[in-house]
Amino acid sequence: MSLEISTEERDRGGAGTPLLEARTLTKHFPLGRGAVVRAVDGVDFQVLKGETLGVVGESGCGKSTTARVVMQLILQDKGEMLFDGEAVGSAALSLKEYRRQAQMVFQDSYASLNPRLTIEDSIAFGPTVHGVPKSGAILRARDLLARVGLDPARFAARYPHELSGGQRQRVNIARALALGPRLVILDEAVSALDKSVEAQVLNLLMDLREEFGLTYIFISHDLNVVRFISDRVMVMYLGEVVEIGPVDELYDDPRHPYTRALLSAMPSMDPDNRTMEAPLAGDPPNPINPPEGCRFHPRCPQAQTVCAKVKPVLTRTGAGARLAACHMEIAGSGHSRALGLEDAA
Amino acid sequence: MSAATTDAIPVAITQPLRSPGYWAGVFKRFKRDKVAVGAGLVVLAIILMAVFADYIAPADPTRSSMLRRLRPIGTPGYPLGADELGRDMLSRLIHGARLSLFMGVVPVFIAFAVGSVIGVSAGFFGGKYNTVTMRTVDIFYAFPSVLLAIALSGALGAGVFNSLLSLTIVFIPPIARIAESVTTQVRSMDYVEAARASGAGPGTIIRVHVLGNVLGPIFVYATSLISVSMILASGLSFLGLGTKPPTPEWGLMLNTLRTAIYVQPWVAALPGAAIFITSISFNLLSDGLRSAMDVKG
Repeated sequence: MSLEISTEERDRGGAGTPLLEARTLTKHFPLGRGAVVRAVDGVDFQVLKGETLGVVGESGCGKSTTARVVMQLILQDKGEMLFDGEAVGSAALSLKEYRRQAQMVFQDSYASLNPRLTIEDSIAFGPTVHGVPKSGAILRARDLLARVGLDPARFAARYPHELSGGQRQRVNIARALALGPRLVILDEAVSALDKSVEAQVLNLLMDLREEFGLTYIFISHDLNVVRFISDRVMVMYLGEVVEIGPVDELYDDPRHPYTRALLSAMPSMDPDNRTMEAPLAGDPPNPINPPEGCRFHPRCPQAQTVCAKVKPVLTRTGAGARLAACHMEIAGSGHSRALGLEDAA
Repeated sequence: MSAATTDAIPVAITQPLRSPGYWAGVFKRFKRDKVAVGAGLVVLAIILMAVFADYIAPADPTRSSMLRRLRPIGTPGYPLGADELGRDMLSRLIHGARLSLFMGVVPVFIAFAVGSVIGVSAGFFGGKYNTVTMRTVDIFYAFPSVLLAIALSGALGAGVFNSLLSLTIVFIPPIARIAESVTTQVRSMDYVEAARASGAGPGTIIRVHVLGNVLGPIFVYATSLISVSMILASGLSFLGLGTKPPTPEWGLMLNTLRTAIYVQPWVAALPGAAIFITSISFNLLSDGLRSAMDVKG
């Protein structure tokens, strides 16, 4: 019963190929009478092998829809995804095979476990779908329970309602790992847990990442947690990526005004350095009818005429591998604070 | 992480303790409900009575006697009196339980099977398929059930089989609607999403994750229809659309005895009382089952 996953063997594209590459992923939900919610609107990003990509943003910015599209639980209207260089859903990588390599942990630990199944049956379900005999799948489930810190002798035959929230979330993590995935999407996976349990589960996730050679997409609204666990961070606003880059660089020197506002909303740990003003006023605009141009311009303190007219594209900025979608970062965009063309050259 | 526990576990050598399952919990809560347990015992008694009617009944339910017509309750040899043809009421009631129960249970059971298939598939697949099936079901649902049963039975002609068929058709729409709404709730649960994410097809997901969570509530609803079915079947017999005399059946007995209501009111009311006791017992039983299954955790 080997659970060791030799990542090398499945690593088709090599270390240089991103594990997941999303290209202009778009998902609109029609509401009838011509109205559409632009939940995810042309999102591009890459997830590198072995990294943790944090995804942050306000409620309703499309984080969870992005996760569900990446998991192919809802299909995108436009755009494509490459998993280790192969298009998802193509002949080279069928949807079923992709789902073996990408798994998801949901926020609601109770709703994500079937109340009628024992937890070992819940964990063993995925492998049996992929042809593992039932007895072998149960053994693997018990082994995984041990790895996530739950004694199989005590827990394997229990039902979800007999477990605490933290224990249930460990079960969900074990269930996600049962198929031996390479990519795990954690959609607010620790948000519903209390702080001490959250820390334990975060440590468990970091250990498992090492042990199984996993890559994470970590979705959260908790900026501190994202900084703790992520290698790179993607900031979303109204269904679009506004900034993406290495975690320390992005947290220390945010380039997009929305990222700045979001980060300044973090509670200050220093009593001498309190946050006195609300960094942003108002609610995010309606994703049914998002603003023209830059979607952030109605709330942006540095907005100018160009921001209301032209949509800024993700542009390389800052020192390293950082992208931001702001006219102030685009040379010659017409924004007074943008670099001139001669500066960029 | 808790390295001590992780390393020390002899995986899969010790068989994990089986914790009491969901149904054990339901049974435990059901046992505490005295009314439901009582109703269950009554239902059980009626079923046993129907099954062993030949051994229990003191007399032949079809043997008539012109001399002993309409005897009151307590007449020697006729503990519950005699009907308008001098037949023993007790024996007729015991034998009548067979057909009455049959007409109560079988249409509901068939409708439970058919309605669940319609409702679960409509709820699970959703979209246009759901719209088409459920609107078709609604057309049948729009008719009052008594009227629909009478119309169908009338069109098909009198007889046990035809009234069985018409009752089944009457009960499919309400069961399908319950099945659809319960399935729609379950379908949106994260564990169904998680099952899809692990690559399972719709058949496997329905079998493993949907049916177990959906059949219980549908079944409870169906048991509450048994009493309705019995009453409707009795009504059909009463109208001459169901059973034919001299077969004992409670609804038919009520019909033929109605002319004797002024002569022997207590005897004439007995088949009605039997219908009442049986249907209220089924209702209380299904109520008890529902509350026993409702409790979470």
